[in-house]
Amino acid sequence: MESRVVNKGQISELLDKLAKDYNLFAPVKDETMTLFRRVSGAQDVLLDYNNSDISPKGCFLPQNEKTFSYMYTGDSLEINKPEGAQKTVLFGARPCDIKAVLTFDPVFEGVKFGDEYYSSKRENSIIIGLSCTKVLSTCFCYAMGGGPCDITGSDLLLTEIGDKYYVEVITEKGQALVDAYSQIFAKQDTAQLAKDKDELAKKLSGEFVRKVDLTGVKELMDNNFELPYWSGDDQKKCISCGICTYVCPTCHCFDIFDYTTGDFTGDRIRCWDSCMYPEYTLEAGGHNPRPTRKERIRNRFMHKIKYHLDRYNMVGCVGCGRCVIKCPVNIDITKIINDLKEVAQNA
Amino acid sequence: MPNPTALTPYPATITKIDVEAGDTKTFTVVFDDPEIMENFGNQPGQVCMLSAFGEGESTISITSSPTRGKFLEFCVRRVGRLTSVLHQMEVGQKIGVRGPYGNGFPYEMMKGKDLFFIGGGSALAPIRSLIDYVLSDQYRSDYGRVEILYGARSMDDVLFKSDLAERWPAIQNTKIYTTIDRPEEGWNGHVGFVPPFIEEVAPTPENKIVILAGPPILIKLGLAVMEKLGFKDEQIITTLEMRMKCCLGKCGRCNVGSKFICVDGPVFSLAQLKEMPPEY
Amino acid sequence: MMNLAQQLQEQAKKLLEEKKVDLVIGFGQGTELARNTPVFIDSPEGVSALTWGPFCANNLAKYLSDYNNAPGGTAVVVKGCDARSVNRLLDDNQILREKVVVIGVPCPGQLEWQKVSAEIKPGSTLKEVVDNGDSYTVKTDSGDYSFSKKDYLLHRCLVCENPNPVISDITIGKELPVKNYEERFAEVQDLEKLAVNEKSAYWDKQFTRCLRCYACRNVCSVCTCEVCVFDQMMPMWVSKRTNLSENTAFHITRAFHVAGRCVDCGECDRVCPMDIPLRKLNVKIHKDLGDLFNSPTPGTEPGLISPLGGFSPGDPEEFM
Repeated sequence: MESRVVNKGQISELLDKLAKDYNLFAPVKDETMTLFRRVSGAQDVLLDYNNSDISPKGCFLPQNEKTFSYMYTGDSLEINKPEGAQKTVLFGARPCDIKAVLTFDPVFEGVKFGDEYYSSKRENSIIIGLSCTKVLSTCFCYAMGGGPCDITGSDLLLTEIGDKYYVEVITEKGQALVDAYSQIFAKQDTAQLAKDKDELAKKLSGEFVRKVDLTGVKELMDNNFELPYWSGDDQKKCISCGICTYVCPTCHCFDIFDYTTGDFTGDRIRCWDSCMYPEYTLEAGGHNPRPTRKERIRNRFMHKIKYHLDRYNMVGCVGCGRCVIKCPVNIDITKIINDLKEVAQNA
Repeated sequence: MPNPTALTPYPATITKIDVEAGDTKTFTVVFDDPEIMENFGNQPGQVCMLSAFGEGESTISITSSPTRGKFLEFCVRRVGRLTSVLHQMEVGQKIGVRGPYGNGFPYEMMKGKDLFFIGGGSALAPIRSLIDYVLSDQYRSDYGRVEILYGARSMDDVLFKSDLAERWPAIQNTKIYTTIDRPEEGWNGHVGFVPPFIEEVAPTPENKIVILAGPPILIKLGLAVMEKLGFKDEQIITTLEMRMKCCLGKCGRCNVGSKFICVDGPVFSLAQLKEMPPEY
Repeated sequence: MMNLAQQLQEQAKKLLEEKKVDLVIGFGQGTELARNTPVFIDSPEGVSALTWGPFCANNLAKYLSDYNNAPGGTAVVVKGCDARSVNRLLDDNQILREKVVVIGVPCPGQLEWQKVSAEIKPGSTLKEVVDNGDSYTVKTDSGDYSFSKKDYLLHRCLVCENPNPVISDITIGKELPVKNYEERFAEVQDLEKLAVNEKSAYWDKQFTRCLRCYACRNVCSVCTCEVCVFDQMMPMWVSKRTNLSENTAFHITRAFHVAGRCVDCGECDRVCPMDIPLRKLNVKIHKDLGDLFNSPTPGTEPGLISPLGGFSPGDPEEFM
């Protein structure tokens, strides 16, 4: 498809317009944090950021989501479902986080069971990606098939080049958007900008310091569930908190429960849940199939590098590095992958 | 066609409650919308999510066979938050039901074969749907001899007492074995745990399918006994339980390796189980 | 002369060789230059993994109770603040004194790894860290970097009460001078000056961000309940729904639950992925306990009875 140009000076105008016409989600500064929030205009938006503290996955799978409300008196019951999603633009998301949304798609848009809440948001959303300008020491998207300037999953991808944004139109949704705001998305000769973008991508791809290679790791996992490796330091130091799963852009597990508001009414809520919590698999009868940190850590990392691949033919990790940064005890998926690779090579 | 509205339960009414044991009741439930009842299409071995509004949801296996009529029966042991609330409910009250979920038992593959059911404790509930299916007037002639071996902790814990004592034995070519863990006054049947009792009864593997359900420990020990008796992995069918929240293969928690018990199970052959990590 | 890491390794090796302990819990190099990670060493050959420096933020005393049922003893490397946890765990009967060997290391302050990391060229290798008193020099293969303590230390370290471990069987390194920080309660005093609605707005803003990952609870060395009230299903005291009301209930309940036992190790504050200044809640309680009961920070001495956890027949409260 075609490409366009936005002058940096016009970004504010674009954001203000988008906020007027859509629910606009964009990165904002909240004290020390960079988070994706719904914004009312350009003034709150922060585009000069490395990686948000929490991924924008909440745009499609909010931490709390009402699936319906009910009015129940024992012998009468009324169920009311919320309206479908409103037109939304997710602006300024990084390529790794956008790739992560693609790992959600087969989960929620399954063969047998769909998910109206997810699909409604997905269908009504336009994703405007923003190429990275910097690689952090914790980044490893290249090892998961992505890249700092990867277009995968974006409807439009913006790349900052000097005082301009080079805009790649990737989907029809993206095309419709640039056509609707054609006074901002200027039609110009973009040959030089395209070249500059390739240069940037090349430069950034040389800046990764974490060496991660998945080759052979899944094959090792396929044939070895029990490995002494899982009894090592990681399960000893894990504190069973939910950080890695909550900051992870591909973690999609949830819980469902009722939230009563009194007077026979309430909401059914689904909210993020974490496989690192002991209660996650604890059955009412007391049996727990993953009773210790060993089983839970193994399950989480196997899910990322094997189970998600088995089921959906996609790695369940995009290399955003958030779990690496945020884990209080420095459990590091890249170390786990490399250690397993070593185990595979020595086997 | 994927069902996009799968997280919303259908309103249903409790029409009958049978007390099975001190902590177990069987609820007969009918959907308020007759069309949903008509088209529900549940298969033996499938499960539903039951809602008690204000408390949440829980996965409960359908214990009735579709051959028995346009209703659903759920045998519920009082163990947790939701089941405790269900136990306080009365006939006429509303609950929510969504489903049916899971693969169900491979009853087509079982045609022409003898069936040997093994149930421990409350796990007679999930296999009862298949027992009633194969023993129904409609399908009885499709299957050979049906034997049922059932063990409970005590006399009081024996579920479906009238099925075991009257209804099933009255059907031709059936045999029922029951056992309780410890001797009790008034019990004339076998005493002892299920695995050694299977060895004692010693079913032969010729043209036979074994359907085994029970707590994890019974599944592990029972499978060992069946292998010892010469049953092949493909001849042994079991049904697993895991904590579930969505039952749609999305919420994540019921995975055993790459499989989700809720959509890929809960019914697996031993051959399939051996391909999976022992994490259930 | 051996550096502190080498001395640590030596002592750990001796403990393991002489079978005084089966396990040594210490710090090892993490996966980032400016980061160390807990290591669990069970053989004399493994001790070379032990390290020491200004990137040892974790409170390792938290792990001690995991080994209560292990046949042998456990040694643990502690800083001054972590040592208060050891005292507190002993007072709460969570660990047995005879099964624990405390290796204390006087600590001149821990750096905030992310702040440090942001300054250093990615991919560098650490050579050495030199303590210059007011600053650290981090020497790497890509050059030397200087970090002033005032700007790069963890907040808790800027007002450290116990640079020297308050309980220790083996002490590595020299005792450090103890400073009396007048500004210890400065942040809390600033909050106290606010009007009620301003205080409320401040905390609302913080608690709204909470993800309820429970890292603050799980990392806490005095959170030792077998089943936590927030995990209970029957009854469900606090809903899993994350909203201001539930989040506030969680944080306030937790703060009060550890009141009088919190040793101010600051781990809750460090681990919070949403940068909620949780330590301020606890420090406010410390300040009040000090003002009202002249009570020192819990764990400062063994056998301290918390004014909120003890009973005295002479208590002026009539209802007692």
